[in-house]
Amino acid sequence: MLSYLLFSVTIGGIYALLSLALNLAWGGAGLVNLGLAGFFGIGAYATALATGAGAPLAIGLVVAMAAGVLAGLAITGLTLRLRDDYLAIVTLGFGEIVRLVALNERWLTNGADGMSGILAPGKAALGVAGFNQAWAAGVTLLVILVWLLLRRLDQSPFGRALRAVREDQELAGFAGKPVLRLKYQAFALSAAVAALAGALYAHFQSYISPDHFQPLITIYIFLAVTAGGIGRPVGAVLGAYCVVAFLEATRFLAAVVPGIEAVQVAALREALVGLSLLLVLHLRPKGILPERIPPAPKAPS
Amino acid sequence: MTASFADLSRRSLLATAALAPLVLPRILRAEGQGPLRIAALSPLTGAGGTYGPAMVKAIRAVVEEANKAGGILGRPVELVAEDDQTNPEAAVRAARKLIDVDRVAAICGVWASSVAAAVAPLCWESGTFMMATAGADALTALPHRGFFARTQPNTTLQGKKFGEFALSQGAKKIVMLSPQTPFAQSQYENIAAAVKPAGGTAELLIYDDKKPSYRTEVQQALRGRPDAIVLGGYLPDTTVLVKDLLRAGFTGTRIAFAYSVNQKLIESVPADTVEGIFTIAPSPAEGSPAWKHMASIAGTDSPDPYSTQSYDQANLLLLAMQAAGTASGTAIRDTLRKVSQAPGGTKVGSITEGLAALKAGQAINYEGASGPCDFTESGDIIDCQFRYEQVKSGKLTLLRIA
Repeated sequence: MLSYLLFSVTIGGIYALLSLALNLAWGGAGLVNLGLAGFFGIGAYATALATGAGAPLAIGLVVAMAAGVLAGLAITGLTLRLRDDYLAIVTLGFGEIVRLVALNERWLTNGADGMSGILAPGKAALGVAGFNQAWAAGVTLLVILVWLLLRRLDQSPFGRALRAVREDQELAGFAGKPVLRLKYQAFALSAAVAALAGALYAHFQSYISPDHFQPLITIYIFLAVTAGGIGRPVGAVLGAYCVVAFLEATRFLAAVVPGIEAVQVAALREALVGLSLLLVLHLRPKGILPERIPPAPKAPS
Repeated sequence: MTASFADLSRRSLLATAALAPLVLPRILRAEGQGPLRIAALSPLTGAGGTYGPAMVKAIRAVVEEANKAGGILGRPVELVAEDDQTNPEAAVRAARKLIDVDRVAAICGVWASSVAAAVAPLCWESGTFMMATAGADALTALPHRGFFARTQPNTTLQGKKFGEFALSQGAKKIVMLSPQTPFAQSQYENIAAAVKPAGGTAELLIYDDKKPSYRTEVQQALRGRPDAIVLGGYLPDTTVLVKDLLRAGFTGTRIAFAYSVNQKLIESVPADTVEGIFTIAPSPAEGSPAWKHMASIAGTDSPDPYSTQSYDQANLLLLAMQAAGTASGTAIRDTLRKVSQAPGGTKVGSITEGLAALKAGQAINYEGASGPCDFTESGDIIDCQFRYEQVKSGKLTLLRIA
C-alpha cells in the first residue's frame, strides 16, 4: 500500500509539472496547447536516447528540456498567426506527429516496440522500495521548485505582460509590449517544463512507447488545470494531484458498487471523471483556486 | 455555497485517501489464509475495448469454476479486474494498484503489446507472474526472469507459418508487400528463414498505406517474377492492392492475414479480384474438449481467440499454484511448465479436471481452448494451431486447421 501511495505521489508530481507547463502557456499567455503529450514525449525520448548513449541523468534532463525548448520555439514560429481554436487544432496535430515519428523511425526510437531498460537512477543502489521513496521525494521537490519559479514569474512584470497578451494582444502590442517575443518565451518555457515531466516519467518507468503519448494524458492535464484554476500555478498543482487522487480513488469506489461487471466499473469510472468536471465547472467555473487579479493601483491624484 | 463546495471537495478527497489505509489491514491479514487473488488487466475502454470484456468474462468463469471445485489450496480465489484503458500510462497505474494494494499473485489477460511491455517490469520486480495475449517479438526478450508467458503466437511463429505455407504451395520466390507495422520486418525475416532451407528466396517491399494506387509497387514486386506474394497490410490498403495485382496480371499464389482479407473485403471488390487468395490466422483449438467447455461456460458458439487465451491463462495460473502448493508469482514461475506440458501427464482442459487430477497425484498436461499451451524457456508458446482458408467463389472456405 505504501509503495502504491508513493507511486501515486510521483505520478501526481509528474502530472503537476505538466499542469504547470500548460498553465504557463494557456493560463498565462492564452496559448491553447493540445499537443502537450507531444512535448511530454519529446522529453521522454530525448533523455532516453541521451542516457542510452551513456550520458548521466543530469545531462539527460538538460537535453530533454533543450529539445522541448527547440520544439516549443518551432511550434510558436509555425503558428504565429493562429489563436484559440485554430492553435488548439494545430498543436493537437503536432502531438500526433511526434507520436507517428516515434512509431515509424525505428532506427531512432525502436518503433512500436518502444524503448525499454531506460536508466533508472538509484534503482540498483536503493532497491525497489528505496527507489520509490527517493523518486516520490525528488519529484515532489522539483514540483515545489518549478512552482515557486513559475509563481515568481507569474507575479513579475513578465507575467503581467503575458496576461496583457492573453487578454488583448493588439492592445498589448500597442502599449509597447513585445508580443511576439513574449509568446516565444512563454511557449518555449512551457514546452521545457512539459519535456522535463516526460524525462522524469521515462526514468521513473524505464519504458516508453509511442502509445504512452496518446492524447489521453493531455485531456487529463486540461482537466487538472480547469479544475484547479486556470492562470494560477498553485491551482494547477492542486488540480493535478486531485486528478490523480480522483482517478485512483474511483478504482476503489467503483469496485464496491454491488452487482456490476468489470466493464461497467470501467465505464462508471469514466462517467465519474466527466461528472466531476461538470460539477467543478458548474459550481466553481474558475476552478477550485481561481486566478487572483490584483486591483489596478490607484492613480496618484 | 461556492465556498462550501471547495471545502466539501477537499474533505471528500481526504476521506477517500483516509479510506484506503482502513482497507489495508484487512488485505494484509488476508494473506496466507484468506482468499488468494489473481488479476485481469484487460482493455475495457479504448482501442481494445471490443475484446477486453469477453476476456474478463472468461477469466471470471474459470475463477468461479475453481471456487465451485473447492478453491485452490483450500482457499477461495478472488478475481480483481482493472481496466488498462488500452494505454500503457494508465495501465501502469492500474498494475501498481493490483500489485501493491491487492497483492495479486498473477496478472493475466493483458492485451496490447505496449501495455504488456510497460507492465512487465513492475511484475518481474515484484515477483508477480504475468500472462499476455500480445504478439510483439520483443516481449519475451525482456529480462523478465521467467515471470512472463504469453499464449499468443509471436511474429516469429506467424512468419514461419506463412513461409511454410508458401513452400507447400510450390512457391520458391516470395515477395512480401506491407505497410510500416510493428511486425513487418520480423514477419519478413521469418518468412525468409522458413523458405531458405528449401532453396527459396524472399523479398520485402514497404509501401505507404494511404496511397490510392499501388501500380508502381506492384510492378516493382513483379519484376523478379515471384511465385507468391504475401499481403501484409490492413483492410483498406489491401483492398487497393488486390485490384492492382489483378490488373498487372499476377496469377501466382497470394497469401494474406485473415484480418485483412475478410468477408468485408471480399464483398467490396469484384469476385475475380480475390478469388483464390489464401488467408492464415492463429486459430483457437476449435472442437477440442477445452474449447467446447470454454464456449459453454462463456455462453457463445464462437469465442474469439483472445477470450479463449484468457480462459487458458486463468486455468494455467490456478493449476500452477495448486501444483506448487504455494500461492505466489514465484511458485507459478517455477511450476507453470509442470502443469502446461508435463511429459506423459494426464491431458486436462478445465480447472475441474485439472484439480481432480492433481489431487489424485497425477502429473498433468494442460491442453487449452486456444491451443496446446506449451511454453518455451522464455515464455513463448511452442506451437499453436493456425487456420488456413481460401476464397472460393466469393466465400472464405476452410482448408484446414493445423
